[in-house]
Amino acid sequence: MASQVSLRVLSEDGVQQIHDSSLRLLQEVGIEIEYEPALDILRAAGQRVDSGRAYFDPEYVQKMVAQAPEQFTLYARDPKFNVEIGGDNLVFAPGYGAPFVIEKGKRRASNWEDYMNFLKLAHVAQDIDISGGMLVEPNDLDDRTRYLDALYAHIRYSTKCPMGSSYGAEGANDTMGLLSPVFGGRDALKAKPAVITLINTISPLKLDARQTGALVEYAKMNQAVIIASLVMAGSTGPATLAGCMAVQNAEVLAGITLAQTVNPGCPVVYGSASSVTDMHSGSVSIANGEAGLLAAAAAQMAKFYGLPSRSGGGLTDAKTVDGQAGYESAVMLMSPVTAGTNIILHTAGILQYWLCMSFEKFVLDAEIAGILRRFKRGIKIDEDSLAVEVVAKVGPGNHFLNQMHTRKHHKTEFRKPLLSDRQSYEGWVAESLTAEDRASQVCRKLINAYQDPGLDQSLQKELQSYIESRKEELLK
Amino acid sequence: MLLEQLKEAVINGDQDELKVLCGRVLDEKFNPVEAVQNGLIKGIEELGRLWTEGEMFLPDVMMGADVLKLALDILGPELAKAEAAGIKRDVKGRIVIGTVKGDIHDIGKNIVSAMMTAAGYEVHDLGINQDVAAFTEKAEEVGADIIALSALLTTTMPEQKKLVEHLKEKGIKEKYKVIIGGGPTTQDWANEIGADGWSETAGGAIALCDRLTA
Repeated sequence: MASQVSLRVLSEDGVQQIHDSSLRLLQEVGIEIEYEPALDILRAAGQRVDSGRAYFDPEYVQKMVAQAPEQFTLYARDPKFNVEIGGDNLVFAPGYGAPFVIEKGKRRASNWEDYMNFLKLAHVAQDIDISGGMLVEPNDLDDRTRYLDALYAHIRYSTKCPMGSSYGAEGANDTMGLLSPVFGGRDALKAKPAVITLINTISPLKLDARQTGALVEYAKMNQAVIIASLVMAGSTGPATLAGCMAVQNAEVLAGITLAQTVNPGCPVVYGSASSVTDMHSGSVSIANGEAGLLAAAAAQMAKFYGLPSRSGGGLTDAKTVDGQAGYESAVMLMSPVTAGTNIILHTAGILQYWLCMSFEKFVLDAEIAGILRRFKRGIKIDEDSLAVEVVAKVGPGNHFLNQMHTRKHHKTEFRKPLLSDRQSYEGWVAESLTAEDRASQVCRKLINAYQDPGLDQSLQKELQSYIESRKEELLK
Repeated sequence: MLLEQLKEAVINGDQDELKVLCGRVLDEKFNPVEAVQNGLIKGIEELGRLWTEGEMFLPDVMMGADVLKLALDILGPELAKAEAAGIKRDVKGRIVIGTVKGDIHDIGKNIVSAMMTAAGYEVHDLGINQDVAAFTEKAEEVGADIIALSALLTTTMPEQKKLVEHLKEKGIKEKYKVIIGGGPTTQDWANEIGADGWSETAGGAIALCDRLTA
């Protein structure tokens, strides 16, 4: 049953006006694309290309976007972790790409050990649905080849779906080169997409060589891509949220049009990470009412096009696991969940506008995700749930604690918290643990609960020799 | 087998099954003390253990306690006979519990009452709005070890103090341990009125009773 929880922040007319403005931008201003093969593809499809810019015909854009599936399956190594992306489905993905870890308010460069611990957390955490991508940057590994180690770790140590490298055509092909043997060869992989990759545009109105190169390769192989725009309202886009939406929408439609030109029907996700600029410092601020609106509006635009969407996250500008981290993340998760966003990247772990990851924050955010998954499930209404019979049986002034109806239903109606403290004062004060303290304990427990899912020895050897030969080439 | 079934009926909170099983205890002239001690009580203890471990929840324990109470009602006359014949059942302690006069809140008290039952105590629950005389009369009658008073309002808390004074006046304070609870109460209040213990939670109340009856 479709969720009845549905936040709408744009009127139908508003959606249409944003759409019209974006088509105008695509046609009149065009998108600068720094990847020659992509310009060739668009030119061959009849689009005007001039001085590195592609100018899109509105009808062509709409025709291409209409080819994209409304929903698709992402296949995991363990089928119980397959995820549906699109429709009424909700997928939570961990934080992505931070170069720092913050522990107890102290920031340091993240390393391989952190990476592996976040991978274990992502694999074990019940409300995190895919294992993610570059969970934190392993700064202690060679930056030219670390994406290979990172990807191998996902395939080897988790059976949830991973995210791919967007490090150009090469990164995409290495990603698929490593996945192919595990999923039964290239044809099997092509038939059943097993990786989803974040492709970022450059705002305003630009696609760079690296991301576009990866986009084209993934599209050819029918692997899923999130085409995401991050307009910083006030600096890399207009200060008005409507203008920001129009720019974002143009960029995302351009990416999707390109992907659908390469391979009609390939799985794509409409992505948004847009937010506002702090007008004092010029820094991005990723968690606020405006960003919440943009996250919800992105979901609405995606639905208008019949596309799956990505927006929001456990986002915050805070530098430590404090009240600000909690309230900002809750808002930035609640908005997209209630608006029907399908995949939420950066669900867990983020601090300081995507720059930092925190183990404690990961647990805190996973709790918010669990709460919101319950929220989205909504209120089930049927004869049994309306409970007139049991209310009549209990009668006025009595209680329901000793009723079979209660005993049966509380287990599915109520979610049991992973982290929240619901003790009495007496119980709490004995240790006086804050949410951060408890998150640290839960985090250790989850990491300890991790069990190696294993991977066939000959596959391990095959993947390792692939990585070794690639490293030789890359480090030459 | 019958003992195992009695235990299961308590764990499942199944009153219908319990009635059938109690019928069999009576028909088959099964030792009623044995039925309680090695059947029903085992079930309620199992529920208590699972609750402590977080595997079971309040409704499970409260339904189990209800089943146990029902069984004690049905088997009551036979248990009395057995007792008269000198067959005693082990009880951890006897507790008289209720909500004080002027106060009609009883959810918390009901939970504590069920948990005490689950912990192996013989619990006499007076219900709500009870004056101090009702507590002392019942305590005298059943030979209670503990009198437990619940108050959820700041305006009814003084009733807890009144009970302690009442017991002292009658010269029977030393016979009983008085414990108190309820939202606005504190350990300080318990100390001030001369109560023997206070707890904020049902789980804490059991630990408190265990300490006081040890």
